[in-house]
Amino acid sequence: MCADLERIPRTLLVSERSSFQNQKNQLSAHVGQHHFNYKVSVLLPECGSAPPLLDAALNGFSSFYLIRNLPVYMLLDQDFLQTAVHQGSVYGLSFGCRVDEDPCVALMPNGRLVLSLDKDSFELLGFERKKYRFTKRATSRYVVSVNFSDSSMTPGGRGYQRLLTGLKTHLPLVVDFLVSHHPGGTTALQPLLSRYDWSEHRPSVSTRCLANLPCPLLTSDLQSCDPHSVLDWLGAVDADVSCENSSSSFLSTMVCPEPKTTASSALNVSVSGFLNPHEIHHLIQELRSYLDQSQLASWVALTVHGFTDSPVSWAGDERSVLWSGNTFYSLLLFKDDTYQLHLATGAHHTCPP
Amino acid sequence: MWSRKVKVNSYFWCLFLSVGFSTVAVNYVFEPTTKKKQVSHHLVLRSGTAVLSRVGRSRPIRVLNRLTIVMSDSSHYRPTAAEYRRFDLLAVYPTTEKLFHAACMTYDVDIICISVTEKLPFFFKRAPVNGAIERGVAFEVSYSAAIRDATMRRYTIANAIALVDTCKGKNVIVSSAAEKRLELRGPHDAANLSLLFGLSDADAKEAVSSTCRSVVLHAERRKSAGGIIHTTKTSPEETPPTPDDRTSTANHKHPVWNKTDMIGP
Repeated sequence: MCADLERIPRTLLVSERSSFQNQKNQLSAHVGQHHFNYKVSVLLPECGSAPPLLDAALNGFSSFYLIRNLPVYMLLDQDFLQTAVHQGSVYGLSFGCRVDEDPCVALMPNGRLVLSLDKDSFELLGFERKKYRFTKRATSRYVVSVNFSDSSMTPGGRGYQRLLTGLKTHLPLVVDFLVSHHPGGTTALQPLLSRYDWSEHRPSVSTRCLANLPCPLLTSDLQSCDPHSVLDWLGAVDADVSCENSSSSFLSTMVCPEPKTTASSALNVSVSGFLNPHEIHHLIQELRSYLDQSQLASWVALTVHGFTDSPVSWAGDERSVLWSGNTFYSLLLFKDDTYQLHLATGAHHTCPP
Repeated sequence: MWSRKVKVNSYFWCLFLSVGFSTVAVNYVFEPTTKKKQVSHHLVLRSGTAVLSRVGRSRPIRVLNRLTIVMSDSSHYRPTAAEYRRFDLLAVYPTTEKLFHAACMTYDVDIICISVTEKLPFFFKRAPVNGAIERGVAFEVSYSAAIRDATMRRYTIANAIALVDTCKGKNVIVSSAAEKRLELRGPHDAANLSLLFGLSDADAKEAVSSTCRSVVLHAERRKSAGGIIHTTKTSPEETPPTPDDRTSTANHKHPVWNKTDMIGP
């Protein structure tokens, strides 16, 4: 009779510890499978300013493009498929659409197009869908997923024609679209950029120098600090939330996890935009080099946030629309070439790999 | 309190937009008395304010007019009343078990309101509740009373739990019935609150989104005689639409998937 108050939305956290010396480490795979990255935050303890190479990596994220009012059927354009989808990696995500309310579109680098539609839109489109996994009553959201490398989805194929007809005639979806291409850039996206209103954007970089920052004593084994506490603390530092828990302030009761030390200086750098996994991987390599050369720092932290309204979760899997929240992962790098990777997602999402 | 008007201005629409709603129903609660038996005609929002542009979004906010009739007698609901047609949504608030049964089984309404400010005067029975669900009528639980007063919070939760226990979480909508700005909560907050009422995660989400959409569709069907007749509102300055325009208007009036809230008078 009474409501089950213990049944609250849960979060999923997968922690992994490995070494770069280990040939079988999965870090590259995890970074590559997180296709849509909104923000990268880096915390460098005992650091006043970033060395030149690291600074170049932080400021060197490539531009992305926002195409206004793009008809979704243009993503099936043969020129676009040939120059962008089948050559290199194209990342595309609908912009300004709420995943539980509006039709959302995602184009992944493996050539997969995902449409997250409501009931009316799905019925108008007239295409088959995957069964929604997160509720027994599949009335909330319908996910249409097509792979352009399938034989039926090649231009002229039966599935291709059907989807094209659906998007052109039955359901003329028009969205604002964030798109980037690796390594082609503007050239590879010319079939789209030449026909519609677009603007180029550079990822924004913000830097904060922190003095006398209480830091947890992090070691490469997972027993040093509870991962949840460490992630809470990293989030507090990134959001500029006080961890002093002073009696005069009621806004924050967060504290630095024990055991802790005090860093005389720390650098917090955030890069936000539509970020490429390839460049995040390059940034990780630069952070490794920095850590090798640094005398004072014993660890660095990198956190990558996904988009809240992305219709896909880890590795392009389906995500739930019941509750908000994005996917993110935090990487702690240590001097001995080991790392801790914490993969997190919200309630009802696909479990991180 | 039931007849008090609230001035709905642009600030309200911005407030609804900022918290995440895309459809808002402005409610007028009418309690028939011996002196007042008809709904005032000037309480309906003008059509000019019906569609407002949304800052930063391409889809405009949708505003609906809703009438809630407080029924303490069966004569208070008049199915052929002309003034009901001016409102997009029609709700009843039955105060006795007999009226509740009649509202569930026979009345051509869209929403049945559940008492949240007092102890339930009757028990919910599965037969009328299931009958209402089959007809597409939704049950509404409003949460603003729970925000205002601790005693009413207990009544709200207790009555909502009793309802959810009977209807198994189907056809339940959660709305604010807000009379002040501070009583308004976002759709995710309302969905979280619904968990206290015994709704599952999916039902709680549906209570602020798809079930509300179903209610709006039900209202359109009710007003169009089962989808056969479709009417289009035109202002005096506009010319009547041609048959082609009417068809495109019908297409555009197809309800969208959105989060809906209903505010009080």
